[in-house]
Amino acid sequence: MRNSRIARNVAIATSVVVLAFFVLLVTAKPRGERGISTPLLGNPAPAVSSPVVGGGNFDLARRKGSWVVLNFFNSTCVPCRAEHPQLVAFEKNQSTQDNGVELVTVVNDDSDAAVAAFFEKNGGDWPKVTDPDGAIAVAFGVAKVPETWVIDPSGFVRLRIAGEVTNDFLSAKMAELQRELAAP
Amino acid sequence: MKKLNSLPVWILMLLLTVGLLAFGTLRDRGPLTQQGRIDAISKQLACPTCNGESIYVSRAPAAEAIRNEIAREVASGQNSDDQIVAVIENSFPGSVLLPRTDGVESLIWILPVVALVGGLCVLGLVFRRWKNASLAHASDEDFAIVEAAFLKKNDVTDDENV
Amino acid sequence: MFSADAVEVAVNQGLAGPLGRGALLVGVIASAFGAVASIYAARESSHHDEARTARLIPRFAALVLFAAFAAITAMEYAMITRDFSLQYVQDHGSRSTPALYNFTAVWSALEGSILLWVLALALSCAAVVWRYRKKLNDPLIAWAMAVMFIVLAFFFLLSFAPANPFGVGAPGVTDGPGPNPLLQNHILVLFHPPILYLGYVGFTIPFAFAIAALITGRVGEGWLIETRRWTLCAWGLLTFGIILGGWWSYEVLGWSGVWAWDPVENASFLPWLTGTAYIHSVLVQERRGMLRVWNLSLLLATFSLTILGTFLTRSGVLNSVHAFSESDIGKYLIVFFGVIVAVSLWLIAWRGDSLRSPGSIDSPVSREGAFLANNVLFALFAFVVLLGTVFPLVIEALQNRQIVVGEPFFDQLSKPIGIAMLAMMSIAPVLPWRKASEEVLRQRLFWPAWCGIGTLVVSLLVGADGLAPLLAFTLGGFASGAALRQLVLATRRQGLRGLVGRANGGMVVHLGVILIAVALAASNSYTRSQELSLKLNTPAEFGGHVFELKGFENEKTDRLTAVKAIVQIDGGKSYAPAITKFVQMGNNIGTPSVKSSWRYDLYLTLEPPVKSESGEARIKVFIKPLVMWMWIGGGMMAVGTLLALFPGRRRRPTDAVSAHIDSGKTLNA
Repeated sequence: MRNSRIARNVAIATSVVVLAFFVLLVTAKPRGERGISTPLLGNPAPAVSSPVVGGGNFDLARRKGSWVVLNFFNSTCVPCRAEHPQLVAFEKNQSTQDNGVELVTVVNDDSDAAVAAFFEKNGGDWPKVTDPDGAIAVAFGVAKVPETWVIDPSGFVRLRIAGEVTNDFLSAKMAELQRELAAP
Repeated sequence: MKKLNSLPVWILMLLLTVGLLAFGTLRDRGPLTQQGRIDAISKQLACPTCNGESIYVSRAPAAEAIRNEIAREVASGQNSDDQIVAVIENSFPGSVLLPRTDGVESLIWILPVVALVGGLCVLGLVFRRWKNASLAHASDEDFAIVEAAFLKKNDVTDDENV
Repeated sequence: MFSADAVEVAVNQGLAGPLGRGALLVGVIASAFGAVASIYAARESSHHDEARTARLIPRFAALVLFAAFAAITAMEYAMITRDFSLQYVQDHGSRSTPALYNFTAVWSALEGSILLWVLALALSCAAVVWRYRKKLNDPLIAWAMAVMFIVLAFFFLLSFAPANPFGVGAPGVTDGPGPNPLLQNHILVLFHPPILYLGYVGFTIPFAFAIAALITGRVGEGWLIETRRWTLCAWGLLTFGIILGGWWSYEVLGWSGVWAWDPVENASFLPWLTGTAYIHSVLVQERRGMLRVWNLSLLLATFSLTILGTFLTRSGVLNSVHAFSESDIGKYLIVFFGVIVAVSLWLIAWRGDSLRSPGSIDSPVSREGAFLANNVLFALFAFVVLLGTVFPLVIEALQNRQIVVGEPFFDQLSKPIGIAMLAMMSIAPVLPWRKASEEVLRQRLFWPAWCGIGTLVVSLLVGADGLAPLLAFTLGGFASGAALRQLVLATRRQGLRGLVGRANGGMVVHLGVILIAVALAASNSYTRSQELSLKLNTPAEFGGHVFELKGFENEKTDRLTAVKAIVQIDGGKSYAPAITKFVQMGNNIGTPSVKSSWRYDLYLTLEPPVKSESGEARIKVFIKPLVMWMWIGGGMMAVGTLLALFPGRRRRPTDAVSAHIDSGKTLNA
């Protein structure tokens, strides 16, 4: 009969579409591999100009020429506290290198006094930028702490990490990013 | 009952419905309050750092801040809704939720229409094929038998139990 | 509840892990052997009448069920006794999580959720074996069991290896962060996942029978009636699970909505759509013996969509707030999906044409025609939802940039489709089989149409406007009229038995759907909201209600610190929207407080920053019309499904089934 092949033909046509779909799904990159996505990636970092705990001012724009790692921190958040020793180690590591990375903490939804007290007790001698109305957090789009942002010497955002980091992980990522920038 | 059921009455019902719907539609003047405008705009934008939620839905501080920004724009009364969306889009590229109607993204609108037309065509073809598979024609005698059988049953008209 | 010392001392430390993993291994082996036995039984019985291997099948099914139970019990045991030697408990357990949420923490993350899936599968398998225990040597049943065992083997394997929940964690850990905060503040976490999974997984049964039917070439009425009941069961559970999910979102998330077209939500919606299409078109097969291959395809598609959905939610390829953390299992799931679809398509290509039924449908204006149109609509809706969900992947593949497809797309397309469905629901229940004459239609639709017009008038009187919602209300009234007409006629004829059975239960379900559709239309179109800055003991007015801030309540435990604003509404009961900070998670969760009533809900949220010292609080008030009717509609759908599962009036085969046709007019158009 003329119409006795319909099922077969429809099945074949469907297979072609499903195959294309399958390829699409298999080649899709999981989110993790690209770091947490942000439209700021590869774009100039938002302006950060704010007083520092203990006096002075921090201006991200004047940091051009060196890599800056921004760590959003809150003294009551347990993962932030857990991460802290790793950051201390990271900073120590970087300070022994030339062209070391600058580590800067941004206070997130916390009192400056509490942060100062925490750093006093647990070490960490780098600038702690205040953010009283949360403008910096909003500009970067930080919803949850801890978050770590890496900004390159030209002021562009290179990486955003949500959650705790370790010294090893961060150092490795920094090395990778620095290599990428150096090589054309 | 037969009179009520006639075609003119149905046409009247249809006209009545269309008229009422038109009345109701014209009554709709869009969002009436500022909050309504803010909500309408924030439904069109994605929160840039949340996982695919819109500004309207997301409770993250970033979304809150953008909502405040939208509120400021709406309160200043200067820009229209579309202009405000454009302003936010400028600060956060890629955040407009409604896929555009140009470029590759228009596919998302075209494909459903194609699918609908395709589905209706298939339905049409299928019906035509079935019609062409001719059934035997019933004779008047056959009709009479069926009629008699119907009349023998108690409820004649409404037996449509599946 | 459990002191640290007691845990330390207990002998059970470390026992749950190996026991659980062992149970999973037993499950893998038992399902593999079960599959082999079933295939052997299927082939053997085509030669002999007795298949001795068929007698092994119940034993393997029992073993598999035991293994699934043992595995999840071991996991629960580890969670409840805070056995931090397991990585999973380290990641999701906590000493300060209350007992209920600790119990549900087992399925709060990926590995544990697979255990729940496996349990649901094992239960389904056992149910099928029990139901057909006397017929296991029938090749159709045996092949179906084979398919079920193969699927079971896959998921057991998944849980045994890549998604192992019993992995050993770092030593010396004594506490954990607990499950995600959003899974720790509402009791629905106990109901929504298990019911949803039972529904989702339940579709494996009709899938297995569909494959078996294609292999054996038996698509006659026997398997059909059986699978229809299983499918209806699974569909009912899936429906109820989805509605519970919407309710939970509403109560917990704070944006006052019930559905956000999030990829994970869509993943559960897709099989629901094709499942609903099947439930309708299978009636055509029962009545007219037609659409056999199409119905088989729908069942195959539904199951494939459940696997696709699982892949999308667990592989991390799509941005979703619901998604489980990424893991490796994505590649196993996508391969499984590929295999399932390839096998299904190959079977259809090989067997489909020889199984197609002869016969035709006389007229498009008939119930058969309506069901076909229904199928086109549901297939279209499924296509739209799938397209919107995976479109970001398409754009990323083609242009290497990321876009987000959100509510605007889905809303704009689901509105016309929803309206079309309401229109179909208005007409189809009164359509007779085979052919409808205009007079019959006009006569039967008369009062339902007036119901529709009445609803339109009432809506306009209470102030509704806008074409889409008004159309929804009108058609909702129309469709309710059609459904009620059927129910009234049936109860007039049979008393209470008129509420039972496929058609009547189906009409009750339709009424539930209409309630949900109308409530959704109302709350999506007419929600009003306002932010109120409240000062202590100073009333503020909005929407005809008075809100007064009476004070604050602070709560501080090991687990969380919460600030609640006590707001009194209209001088009566007080409601307490809150902001909760979970210590271990570092973020704030807003918890809304809802005052429900028949006409609308008053939905209150507390906005940061909260200045409790100065006695000020900013609350946002939403007035959401008709939300309660969504849950009532959901309940009606559940009740209707139960009614539909009962056998209805037995038809005598010689009963007339068509409407009275005037003699003198021919049957053919």
